[in-house]
Amino acid sequence: NLMGTRLAGSHVDTQEPKTNPLVCISDEPETLYKRLSILVKGHDKAVLDSYEYFAVLAAKELGISVEKVDKPPKTIERLTLLKSVHIYKKHRVQYEMRTHYMCLELKYLTSSTAAVYLEYVQRNLPEGVAMEVKKTKIEKIPEHIRKPVWDTLPQVEETEVKS
Amino acid sequence: TPLSPQTRAARVRVGKGDKLVTYEQAHPPHYIGHRKGWLSLHTGNLCGEAGAAQRAVEDAFLRRFLHGTFPGLLADAAVLKRRGNLLVICALLGRALPPHKLYFLQGYAETLLGHFYKCPVRLELQTVPARVPYKYL
Repeated sequence: NLMGTRLAGSHVDTQEPKTNPLVCISDEPETLYKRLSILVKGHDKAVLDSYEYFAVLAAKELGISVEKVDKPPKTIERLTLLKSVHIYKKHRVQYEMRTHYMCLELKYLTSSTAAVYLEYVQRNLPEGVAMEVKKTKIEKIPEHIRKPVWDTLPQVEETEVKS
Repeated sequence: TPLSPQTRAARVRVGKGDKLVTYEQAHPPHYIGHRKGWLSLHTGNLCGEAGAAQRAVEDAFLRRFLHGTFPGLLADAAVLKRRGNLLVICALLGRALPPHKLYFLQGYAETLLGHFYKCPVRLELQTVPARVPYKYL
C-alpha cells in the first residue's frame, strides 16, 4: 500500500502552530495612553510641513485618531556681536536662529500601538529636526480613594447627651 | 583704518567677468532659508537643544579633511547631514580621477572618520563633468 508508506515518515498530524519571533503575546493588561503629544522642532518650515503630512498619513493608516495638528509660532533667538576683532564698538553684526514648531496630538492609544507608531515616525525623522514626545497615561483610581471615607468608617451609635 | 560700511561676509565681489561662481557662492548669507538651503543639518542650533559648538568644530574639521582627501576635485561645498548617530556627507566631485581611485578614497575617508568620531560615517559622492556656473563675476 503506497499511500500509507508515503505518509508514515511525515509529521502531517503533529504540526506546531507557527509563531512569529517578532510578535510577543503577554497576558498583563496594556497601559493605555489618553494623549500622545509629539512636538517637532526645526529650522526649515517646508521640512516640517512635509513631515506633518507624513506623520498624519502614517497615523491614519494605522487607525490612530489624530486630535489636532497645532502650529505654535516660531521663536527667533537673536545675537548681536561686535563686527571687528579689536575695537569699533559702534559696528556690530546681528545673527538670528529661527525655530519652527509643529505639535501633533494623538488620542487614545495602547502602549504597543504607541511604540510601533513612535518607532516608525522616529526612524524617518529628517536630519536637522528634533522631536519631543509626551505621553498621558490613563490609570485606574487607587484602592484607597475608590469609595468616600465616610462610607467606610464603622457606624458610630448615637449616644444620648445627658444634660 | 576705519571699517568699510559694506559687509564682506561670504560674498564674492564683482570682478572682470571671468570668475566662475556657483549658485551656492553667488548668494550672500542673508538668503539662507529663502533662496539657499543649509549646508550642515543638525539639531544643535534649535531652541532648547545642546551641542552646537561640538557640531561646528566637527563640521570645520570635516570640510578641511574633504578638501585634503579630494585635492582639487570638490565642485561645490559638501552637505553634512546628521541622522541620530549616523553622519552622511554628500559631496560633488569633478571627474579628474578614475573611478577605482575614487572608491578607494571613499572607503578610506569613511573608515578613518568612523574611527575618529566613533560613529558610522557614510560618504555619498557624485561626479559632475565641470562646475555648474550660475554667474560669471
